[in-house]
Amino acid sequence: MEQVMKKEKGKLWGLLTKVPELTLLILLIVAGYAVMEIFSKVQPTAVLSPGDMWLIIVASFVISTLIAVLAVIGGIGGGVIFTPIMLGFTHIDSLVVRSTGLVVAMFSGLISSGPFMRTKLADLKLVFYCGVPITVGALAGSVAAIYLHKYMGPVGDGYVRLSLGILMLIVAYFLISGGGATEYPKPKRIDPIAKKLGLSNFYWEESLGKVVHYDLTRAVPGAIMFIFLGFIAGFFGLGGGAFLTATLNLVMMAPVKIAAACSGVLLAISNATAIWTYISYGALIAVFAAPWMLGQVVGGILGAYLLISINAGFVRKILIIILLVSSIKLIMRGVEGAFGISLHF
Amino acid sequence: MEEQKPQAPFAALVYGEIVYWGVLLGSVIVLIGSVVAFVSRNNYVATSYWLSSIWKGESIHEIWKGATGALPHGHWYLSHLTTGDGLTAFGISLSVFAVLPALLLSALALYKEKDTVYGTLALIGGIVVFIAILGIIPMPS
Repeated sequence: MEQVMKKEKGKLWGLLTKVPELTLLILLIVAGYAVMEIFSKVQPTAVLSPGDMWLIIVASFVISTLIAVLAVIGGIGGGVIFTPIMLGFTHIDSLVVRSTGLVVAMFSGLISSGPFMRTKLADLKLVFYCGVPITVGALAGSVAAIYLHKYMGPVGDGYVRLSLGILMLIVAYFLISGGGATEYPKPKRIDPIAKKLGLSNFYWEESLGKVVHYDLTRAVPGAIMFIFLGFIAGFFGLGGGAFLTATLNLVMMAPVKIAAACSGVLLAISNATAIWTYISYGALIAVFAAPWMLGQVVGGILGAYLLISINAGFVRKILIIILLVSSIKLIMRGVEGAFGISLHF
Repeated sequence: MEEQKPQAPFAALVYGEIVYWGVLLGSVIVLIGSVVAFVSRNNYVATSYWLSSIWKGESIHEIWKGATGALPHGHWYLSHLTTGDGLTAFGISLSVFAVLPALLLSALALYKEKDTVYGTLALIGGIVVFIAILGIIPMPS
């Protein structure tokens, strides 16, 4: 046990020296937050003291960092963890939560795009092929979110949440019943469009110490699903990375590690499209979103380097747990919103 | 014979590095903005107002109504870059904006490699992001 701890400590120290920009950023953030506390000129209000405000900022940063590490390793968006918790346990306005949720969902993916592209874990062709439908869907979803928030209120929101929760349960079931075959799936038949697009590739599997070749299939159903997934991401501010990983792995037959890395990059592209709708509408409050963003950047780099050397089966287990927990939360919130039944025990 | 680790394509490196360094630059700006928002009174809207009204659960309409009278509808921070909250918002936007040049330059790299199919897909992705940035889709007031 002691040896494992020493090995993990050594890994983390190695990462900090290997990625000096990460070390520098962490030091700057620590110094910045110390300066904010010591020289604070923030005025107290009826609800919060200056100390409370500082604590909200620092706690948001720490929680966001932890969420980002988990999100990148699990190939999901941190928004799937952030948004249900914030909507479930705080009174913060749903548009503020959803826009900040997009920040949480997006930045770990944005920052991990660099390491994933460098190590070829993210397949550029797959990213650009799925990037078009997902950005279109995300833009439509974000616009729909603003309109529905304005005109339909929480009832319509409840129905969509409920169906999303059920869909997440189905994906979790597929991942549980899929067995080891989903780690390195082999398609029985490659469709002509995937063949024409040249959607076959290879990558270095660190845990096996060899190159793994893979073929992708079902290019058209995959693209259609990405429009839908982009819409969900933009609408809920959830990111929907778990769905992206599942679609890439179970529908298009990408190895789970490639699916996890590509879903992070795709998530970033789609959410980077959707967030502009929230920014121009004024729904993103920068002072509140900033520590969540910084936590995602720090945690995103940590998670990306950990994913490269981690076993893919472990990634799937994390994914299943997160899918199950967040789907239960979404279903509860959906029933509450749609039917007005209180499910708080 | 031992297998060699495969090299990433140039277009992938272009995309990844632009996004990576763009986000890091944006993060530093966000940090500076956050510090200014806390240690000075030079803010577009007071930091205590932002945080307290969010914590109270006020809607986005109520928050902006109490702050400036109406929703901003656009990139308000561009004309308030010397303020703490304006700079923080700019930093977040800059980080997100990095995706656009990354897509366009990656498309250019793919075109140079005569990979017109994926170059075009990257270009279309860039156009969709650009439309989103412009904010030309009408929104309810």
